Amino acid sequence: MTPGTSPTPRVVGVALILIGMGATLTSMGIALDPYGRWGARLFPLAGSVALILLGAAELRQAPGASAVERRHLPAIAALLVLSVGYVWAISAVGYLIATAVAAPAALWIFGVRRPLGLLTAAISCPVAYHVVFFELLGVFPPLGRYVDLLDVVGGV
Amino acid sequence: MDIFPALIGVLADPVLLGWVLLAAVVGMVVGAIPGLTASAAIAMLLPLTFYMEPLPALAFLYVIGKSGRYGGSIAAILFNTPGTAASAATQLDGYPLARQGKASKAMKVATISSVIGDFTGEILLIAGVAWIAAIALKLGPPELFAVYFAAFIVIGSVIGKSVTRGLASAALGILVAMIGLDPISSTERFTFGSFHLTNGIGLVPLMIGIFVLGEVFAQIEDRGRAPALMATDDPARNRLSWAEYRPCLPHVARSSLIGAFIGMLPGLGSAIAAFVAYGEGKRRARDPEAWGTGALEGVAAPEAANNAVSGPSMAPLLTLGIPGSTIGAILIGVFLIHGIQIGPTMFLTSRDLVYALFACGLIGIAIYGVIGYFGAAFVGRFITRVPTRVLYPVIFLTSFVAAYTSRGNLFDVYVMVAAGFAGWAMRKLDFNPAAFVISFVLAGGAEETFRQALLLSDNGLMIFVTRPVALVFLLIGLAALLVRVRSLRRQTRAAVMTP
Repeated sequence: MTPGTSPTPRVVGVALILIGMGATLTSMGIALDPYGRWGARLFPLAGSVALILLGAAELRQAPGASAVERRHLPAIAALLVLSVGYVWAISAVGYLIATAVAAPAALWIFGVRRPLGLLTAAISCPVAYHVVFFELLGVFPPLGRYVDLLDVVGGV
Repeated sequence: MDIFPALIGVLADPVLLGWVLLAAVVGMVVGAIPGLTASAAIAMLLPLTFYMEPLPALAFLYVIGKSGRYGGSIAAILFNTPGTAASAATQLDGYPLARQGKASKAMKVATISSVIGDFTGEILLIAGVAWIAAIALKLGPPELFAVYFAAFIVIGSVIGKSVTRGLASAALGILVAMIGLDPISSTERFTFGSFHLTNGIGLVPLMIGIFVLGEVFAQIEDRGRAPALMATDDPARNRLSWAEYRPCLPHVARSSLIGAFIGMLPGLGSAIAAFVAYGEGKRRARDPEAWGTGALEGVAAPEAANNAVSGPSMAPLLTLGIPGSTIGAILIGVFLIHGIQIGPTMFLTSRDLVYALFACGLIGIAIYGVIGYFGAAFVGRFITRVPTRVLYPVIFLTSFVAAYTSRGNLFDVYVMVAAGFAGWAMRKLDFNPAAFVISFVLAGGAEETFRQALLLSDNGLMIFVTRPVALVFLLIGLAALLVRVRSLRRQTRAAVMTP
């Protein structure tokens, strides 16, 4: 793909300028050091201004056709929702229950439909990950705020 | 010659050899899976290595990087899908050979060439790295900042399809690295009042997000598409003779040097080395018309180059603390976790460790060479039996627990999810995730040297112009940018002129 046909330069340019402007305003809010120098502010400000300039340069490019295929966006959105929901569920109900739900959900998004396969994943994935990471490696597991299966089974 | 005692030490340690062997197999398999890269495997396995001794941890990830680069050739030859970007050039002649029933022969050529290229790169690294480190010790903050500046520009502009988006990726990486407390004055930056953000963004969750979860998002678009394997079981056609390989040797020698040179430059990486070597090989070939239709030399040249990158890409990392590749950026995490300060002083404080790591690299090359020569076809068959619709959900779940394991913190997992989505979006919009991550890693050091240089200076920013070495590096950065912009303009004009 040549630069002229890169996807949506206008949208990308505007987005970069907006991010750069937001970052510039935030950078100007960074406190000066005790001698009134810009030390801590310099690099964030340089990065922010660079984004604005690069956004402006992007806007100057010829508009190209969008290369983002929309057909897969529902599956991408579903995976994103599952990702955020999975982390939230770990904090709410602990790792085992959250993974028992997330494992078949992920397989479903990738096209697995066999009930036996989904059920196997719901049981085997939490157990396998728990044993490897929280038992063998000794990492302290993330416990659920409301309920946790580890409390029920006695902290296996 | 520190390398010989190091080699003896590694060979006498069966546990360490076991890790190297495991890494050679894991890297080869992961590299051969279309879509998965050695960087993704290393990012995902990084938290596991926190529980290992420093040398086995570093050797395990380093050898995965090496064999992963080689493993990409298996997918390129057998499935017509490059396992890594670096093996896309191998596909040009590798797949036509496979269609002629010579897949095993092509893989043998790829294996021998990869091993020669990798050995060349590693030996050049071993011979030259202490010398570079001695020079690096003489550089002051202004010179080091100029090196960082050149690295930002080269990484942002030279790789990828768009200069502006590559540089924007680098700028975004710098901004994300600024989140947290200023290391000198402890002033809060971009924290928006969040306690979690005062600790900054963790390197491990960011990398797992960009390289692993981002790839899972990307693979949704290919779900259900199974790679078709070319037949490899015709022994008569697949025997590789010395007479057949001999014409490849000049290409392998030249490409190894090209790869080693490109590897030393931060950010360029294996893909560029492979295509430069392929182009140069075709230009000098006795029969250039045969290239692209199944020439063995067309497999040998890019494979030697892309593996020769591996060793020299460690030179800027070990001597200046500047990662030359995404794998180097991830290895920084391992060094830091184990309390090893990277940079020129490393050759004074951890010299034995560095040479033992190089020794592991040499042994890893030999191991993946032997396994690849006799077992690449088996690896290819194994991969076709692993359904991607099961593989990627497993990788999805692993990325969450790996991100949590790094600091035992669920906020890091949220960071990983955000980075994963951002990584997918960056790929779709022609941004450069590698430039983003490498700039994220470099930003702290660049800011520190910039501020130290200003403290040393009586004339503010003029210190960067009055110090000759600093000026040379600043000019190298600007020259790289100008050359790249001109080359892209020429490509655009040529594309417009083509009916």
